[in-house]
Amino acid sequence: MKQHLISFILISLLYHPFLFGDNEQLSALDILSKVDEVVNAPLDQELKIKLILIDNRGGQEEREIIMYQKGSNKRVAKFLSPASQRGIGVLSLPNDVMYLYLPAFKKTRRIASHIKNTRFAGTDFTYEDMEAIRYSDRYTPELIKHEQEFYTLLLKPKDVSKTEYSKLILRVRVDNYFPIRIEYYDKSEQLVKVLRREKIEKVGKYLVSKESEMENIRDKHISKMLITEAKFDTGLSEEIFTERFLMR
Amino acid sequence: MRSTFFISLICVFFTHYVLLSQDTTSLQSMRVGGSFQGENRVQIQGNNELTWHEYRLAITLEGKPTEKTSFYSDFWIRTLGTPYLHTINELFSANNVNPAELQLREAYVDFYDFLISNLDLRIGRQRIAWGTADRLNPTDNLNPYDLEDIWDFGRHLGSDAIQLTYYSDNYKLNCVFIPSFTPAALPRGYGATALLSFSELPRGIVLDNITNTILLPKKTLWNNSLAGIRVTRHIFDFDFSLSYVYGRDCFPLVKKTVIIPTTQLNFHAYNELIYPRLKIIGIDFTGAIIDLGIWGEAAIFYPNEVSALNDLSAVGSGVQQFIVLEKKPYVKYVIGADYTFSNGIYFNGQYLHGFIHERGADNLENYIIFTSEWKLLEDKLKLIPFGGGIAIKDFRSIGKAYAFVLAPEITYYPVQNAEFSLGSRIIDGKGSTVFGKLKEYDELYVKVKYSF
Repeated sequence: MKQHLISFILISLLYHPFLFGDNEQLSALDILSKVDEVVNAPLDQELKIKLILIDNRGGQEEREIIMYQKGSNKRVAKFLSPASQRGIGVLSLPNDVMYLYLPAFKKTRRIASHIKNTRFAGTDFTYEDMEAIRYSDRYTPELIKHEQEFYTLLLKPKDVSKTEYSKLILRVRVDNYFPIRIEYYDKSEQLVKVLRREKIEKVGKYLVSKESEMENIRDKHISKMLITEAKFDTGLSEEIFTERFLMR
Repeated sequence: MRSTFFISLICVFFTHYVLLSQDTTSLQSMRVGGSFQGENRVQIQGNNELTWHEYRLAITLEGKPTEKTSFYSDFWIRTLGTPYLHTINELFSANNVNPAELQLREAYVDFYDFLISNLDLRIGRQRIAWGTADRLNPTDNLNPYDLEDIWDFGRHLGSDAIQLTYYSDNYKLNCVFIPSFTPAALPRGYGATALLSFSELPRGIVLDNITNTILLPKKTLWNNSLAGIRVTRHIFDFDFSLSYVYGRDCFPLVKKTVIIPTTQLNFHAYNELIYPRLKIIGIDFTGAIIDLGIWGEAAIFYPNEVSALNDLSAVGSGVQQFIVLEKKPYVKYVIGADYTFSNGIYFNGQYLHGFIHERGADNLENYIIFTSEWKLLEDKLKLIPFGGGIAIKDFRSIGKAYAFVLAPEITYYPVQNAEFSLGSRIIDGKGSTVFGKLKEYDELYVKVKYSF
């Protein structure tokens, strides 16, 4: 018994990060907080995005949007094309407040949460996916796998009423904490979508995935997101994140 | 008309040419867009009359020449209805045989941070969309209704207006001045019967002709102008607005009727119609309760008293004077909700008290308007299996006067920017209601729209 106790203490000491300076033994929350820091690192960002929608027969459609983000909780997305959707805009503000602008009606409308689960202008992204969020604010993480190059986190919503997902599984790079794959599960725990992030490059000080794709597992439909222009820390005005700007 | 049409076309092509040929920053920010839309409707009953035939080219020209200014214009070039030809001489004009018309729907300039920061000025013909409900907005009273198409009842005409909007962190203040009154466009074709009501004539009188003379308000600033103010702010998780409009009823009201005999048995009625003054206080809100989106609007209408005169002296009934519109406030309101089910089916329902044209506390009827949408095949197909409305004159006697409209529709999006719709409207009911008056006009329609 005594021998076992000594062995346990030795093993514990051997793996204690304080003794060996091992700062990789991060908690799930630490990792997720770092993910939030990386994803939301820029003070502000202005991205021009091309969305390519690919159906299960290989047919393609394109959308072009311009997206502005400030910090981690304010975002505006406006459609530049196609013509039938030009001018449609979504404003995402803190505390789950979202507004939709439809040019045909000449007014903004606050979006109730039931809309958040619907497709954003025919893409595989939902209105909820378009929100600017910090994962650590909305989800409780659990580290389910630690490989040499990747962490795998299971995220469960803190408040199930605020999301249509029962859980997310994030695959995060160990070297830079960039999430390269996100699996989305619906309320019946079925995998519904997978987001893959590729072409991760440094633009200025920040890491950006220049190409990513959201695959809808059920519909076998893919929305590719290509960042064609990226500007960071340009000092975007607070005025952009208002209904006033959304309607312009 | 023809010359206006050609001048407008030349303007469009010239503008487009300038945009293409110039290479300056301001001109590059301009854009020509729009849509082509065609629609045909056929009556299901009887001999399948073609009830609607419209081919519309909507052209928008918009631009942002500087950070602080932008402009927008929208005009329609279209054919509406079939040619109305009487003589062979009319056949010698292509414009008679194949008529087209031009409508300037909107044309305005925006000045941002005008005089002070956060103050925007918009001048020109514009749509001022107030209210939070879907298409049925009792608080939306500055632009006149465009009821040309009775089934597109949320449509308004633009008004030549000056609009100032001030934005603060907590509220938005909107002030509008419209120097000149514009009446509503009334429904074309059979749709007119839905909104018209006829006075009972003394027994034995048969009208062979009716002349309706519109008396527009005097062309003085005080008589002709309309104004409105609206404050919007967020309170808790809801957006609220409070508004006031000093306006006019955009639907005419018969002020005087004179009946003159034309033969021994037939008579001619001369009506004079006016647009009474109205003051309207409005309140609206939008928000959510759990997952359910909800909204509501209420407008208190304060009309000026209008007395009417029936001159039946020619038929021996003397001159009758009576109050046709009491100086008594009445309230129109709407409440609505929408929800998207987990299978993707969207449902939207609204209850409305007081339809667009109804006035007076005792004349407001009840309407339940609903729609459902189901998008399938990666949003290539949209089904509206359950859409339409129910009109109930009085809840205390539903069986006496009610009507319903069922309007299923299927829309297919074959390629980007294109949509084809096929739908129908089936109407039935009892008694005299807005929908009930149209029950002989069940329709089947096809629509095509292409945006560019």
